Amino acid sequence: MAAPRLTRRALLRLLLLAGIGGGLAIAERRTRPAGLRTFLGWILRGWRRRVEPPAVVALGASLSYDEKLLRDALAELWSQAGMPDVAGKRILIKPNLIEWIEGRPLVTAPEVVGAVIDLLRARGASEIVVGEGPGFRRDAGPVVAQSGLEAVIARRNIPFIDLNYDDPQPVPPRDGWFPGRSHLWLPRHVIEADLIVSVAKLKTHHWAGVTLSLKNLFGVIPGICYGWPKNMLHVNGITPSILGLKQALPPVVSVVDGIVGMEGDGPLFGTPVPHGMLAVGRDPLAVDITCARLMGFEPEEIEHLSWGIWAGIGQGVHIEIRGASIQALRRRYQRPPR
Amino acid sequence: MTRPSPCRLHEIHTLEFLKRAQNPDGGWGYGLQRRSMTEPTSAVLLAMAELLERPAVAAGRAWLQRAQHRDGGWGLDPEDPDSSWPTAWAVLTLARWDPAALEVVRGVRWLLQAPVLRLQTDELMAEVYRSLRIDPSLRGWPWRPGEASWVEPTALTLLALHAASATAEQGERIAEAIRYLSDRRCQGGGWNFGNPFMLGAYLPPRPHPTAWALLALHILAPPAIRPEDIEALRVEMHRDGGAMALALGIMALEAIGVEDREARERLTAMQRPDGSWEESPYTTALAWMALHGGWPWRRRD
Repeated sequence: MAAPRLTRRALLRLLLLAGIGGGLAIAERRTRPAGLRTFLGWILRGWRRRVEPPAVVALGASLSYDEKLLRDALAELWSQAGMPDVAGKRILIKPNLIEWIEGRPLVTAPEVVGAVIDLLRARGASEIVVGEGPGFRRDAGPVVAQSGLEAVIARRNIPFIDLNYDDPQPVPPRDGWFPGRSHLWLPRHVIEADLIVSVAKLKTHHWAGVTLSLKNLFGVIPGICYGWPKNMLHVNGITPSILGLKQALPPVVSVVDGIVGMEGDGPLFGTPVPHGMLAVGRDPLAVDITCARLMGFEPEEIEHLSWGIWAGIGQGVHIEIRGASIQALRRRYQRPPR
Repeated sequence: MTRPSPCRLHEIHTLEFLKRAQNPDGGWGYGLQRRSMTEPTSAVLLAMAELLERPAVAAGRAWLQRAQHRDGGWGLDPEDPDSSWPTAWAVLTLARWDPAALEVVRGVRWLLQAPVLRLQTDELMAEVYRSLRIDPSLRGWPWRPGEASWVEPTALTLLALHAASATAEQGERIAEAIRYLSDRRCQGGGWNFGNPFMLGAYLPPRPHPTAWALLALHILAPPAIRPEDIEALRVEMHRDGGAMALALGIMALEAIGVEDREARERLTAMQRPDGSWEESPYTTALAWMALHGGWPWRRRD
């Protein structure tokens, strides 16, 4: 019996199959450690954002830390931005309290945190706590006191939770940004919150370019699990950690305090920029892209923002600005040292 | 009937607080009605084992023993599957009863075998030196195995090895960790978490790591301590002003023979009517040690 002949058509089929198989193998290799499936999921989600409705970011201008002015401005921006209903919800307010250095505008102004508390309370939030896990301090208490936040929250009878010690529990790291980790430890009040309000400071950052409402989420990582500073986030990579934390947490909305921003050697040793702005939005990626633009950065210059747009972490393609205009508020912040 | 002295009253209140704070499982958490964890449980037992009632001590000790993992280390609590830095705390505490006990020996073995991140290439080492001006080839101890070394876990581990009488046969490893601490010293003295310099700026010291580093160096390498380290601690502990910083600062200063009356007065005044400091068993244990006898482990000359 004659041996079966390999026809031209069969050969072409074989070559096509080998090409597809080889391509998949290369793609799988190139997308490690996340893996091809996760990678394709990110790309598809990023594309989908192009046909989805815009995210709304509300901007306030010419503001100061005057309590009444701030309360009124925040209420208006909150409405303009179409923020979620908070009635009956447990809310964690997460300010930036990374450290305290006299004379440096490195923390969220306590007046802004106070205005957020008043607004949430007026809108019927059932439980409000303020929490932070400073990355450079074993004890958050002195930072809370020295920054003036202690007096602000005491007057409103709101507890402060040191997230570095808040009975952490393991949660699955969703969306593939912490490859090789079966779980992430997160503080109890973070896991149990219905909504997190990331009340960030507008600052430059020597590793991340800028630190806004997404980078501010690093403070929820408990020090007792990951140490001081939160080294695991650097081992995993700053960008994947920023994006992965956003995905692992309950819903996050943003308020950015740019009334006095920080330029140059942020997040600790930069210099103040009187900017008079406040940004509010329910999509942290859209808020941070907008704020970065106001600081004179394009999102492509900031890795976690450009990756966030690409992977569709939020709506980074279509952003509708309400309130003050970007043109009126745009500055050029001095770049951080590299 | 005679009234208890004010000092004795403080003791009674503190003991009552710790009794209330002890969980039914025998351990202590970082606050009232909080999950039992290795660090606060160890700290309370280290500070108060001679004053607490015997059943409370036995329950706390049993909790610590139960929390030990099969690999010999301890995690945050028994639910944490990974052993990490709290192992040093557990060893420090259990060695008070018997430095040669099996659980202590297993804990020491875990500490000595815990992997530490080491940079592999000269290029990477040069880049780290450019950004941080540290010698990345030196090993201390990490918060979690496999990661970079940091000042506080390094100092804690050195103290634990000393407590377990395990320093003699580990001379080289300990000498390297002491060189690590010296290398991470801040420009004007003292320590922060381990980055004295970053991208063109010198970073300031902080009281907690400075106190731990001084305690460890005092016990294992006193000549490595510089006068500016002591001054940095005094300045930073008062600037911080928190009970934890003051307590650690007082203990470190007292160990090296420096008395800071103002710090003692500030810390004493911070005790709450319920006998606690900040309603935290951990901070209460540190404050109690600071005000009553200091760091319990002394140098062996």
